[in-house]
Amino acid sequence: MRKQIRVIPIFCLLAAGLVATAGSATAAPPERYLHVRVEDSAKGENVNVNVPLSMAETVLPAVNKGPVLNGRITIPSAQMNGIDVHAIMVAVRNAPDGEFVTVKEKNQDVKVSKMNGNIVVHVRDGKKADETVDATIPMKVVDALVSGTQPDQLDVAAALRALTDAGDTLLVTVQNATQHVRIWIDARNTQE
Amino acid sequence: MILAAKIGLVCAGTIVAGAGALCSEGFIRVDVAQSRGELRHINVTAPAMLVPMAVQFATHMKSRDQIAKAGEQIEPYVPAIRAALRELNEGGDMTLVDVIEPGQHVRVSKSGGSIVVDVDNQDAIVHVSAPIRAISGTIQEIADSASPSDTSSNPDSRN
Repeated sequence: MRKQIRVIPIFCLLAAGLVATAGSATAAPPERYLHVRVEDSAKGENVNVNVPLSMAETVLPAVNKGPVLNGRITIPSAQMNGIDVHAIMVAVRNAPDGEFVTVKEKNQDVKVSKMNGNIVVHVRDGKKADETVDATIPMKVVDALVSGTQPDQLDVAAALRALTDAGDTLLVTVQNATQHVRIWIDARNTQE
Repeated sequence: MILAAKIGLVCAGTIVAGAGALCSEGFIRVDVAQSRGELRHINVTAPAMLVPMAVQFATHMKSRDQIAKAGEQIEPYVPAIRAALRELNEGGDMTLVDVIEPGQHVRVSKSGGSIVVDVDNQDAIVHVSAPIRAISGTIQEIADSASPSDTSSNPDSRN
């Protein structure tokens, strides 16, 4: 009888552990935030914007105005110049890591490469106070962007969903003599 | 005597219930402390439910044309605005926008169920707090004031 009484708490503990494990497994993923920070040392200005990605995901499909419809943006065919973006993206996805485009001019460098599952773009513009732009876009996001059935459509809503699934990512930095812009994603709702 | 007491009780109950219903949406708070020139301090706290009611009332007044025009302009974006407000309401407290300039600090944040705007500059310190549900209701009232032909063209506006 005593043995049975001792076994009961052990069963209770096991059951509690199982429930806790199941709860953590089914818990919703943490909210992720898109952060934008603009610092202008010349003007002494500092702008910080924090947007929950879930909000952007919900809002975008609700905007149906002009070229935006159900979270997709239609690019006018005249601006596409006969370029098949989908075919280019498929080719990039299947290609191994490496530099795809390198342009070196007197005042400008442009580099586009694929690295560790990301599309990396680097631009240096010597004319604009030695401005550099670095963009790192996860390949999954690019795939989602061109996942629509129409070749002239960009599925921004799908790209936002893919961004939510991506880890903490520094997406864009723009740096010149006085300004510094950063756009990134993480799970914190502040920029501290 | 008993009848008078009963009537009094009913009146008191009605007043309490009415006040409770009026305050159920929370309060809008506007606090302005003007520092330049004459020192002024304005502090207004009002039940948020009054704002959509005031907009509805205003649509029957002289200002209805202006509100109808605003409604036409805002109507295509109402589903997006309402979706954004709904998501904000469900999310945690956070700073949405923070702008620091020399002599000026502007912050828009979500605190509890309200959107809070704080402006601190050399002229004045302004604090405005409005419940998200009241903002959503007010925007819907303004959109509803658009001409019927526009409203019928976008049936999603009520969602």
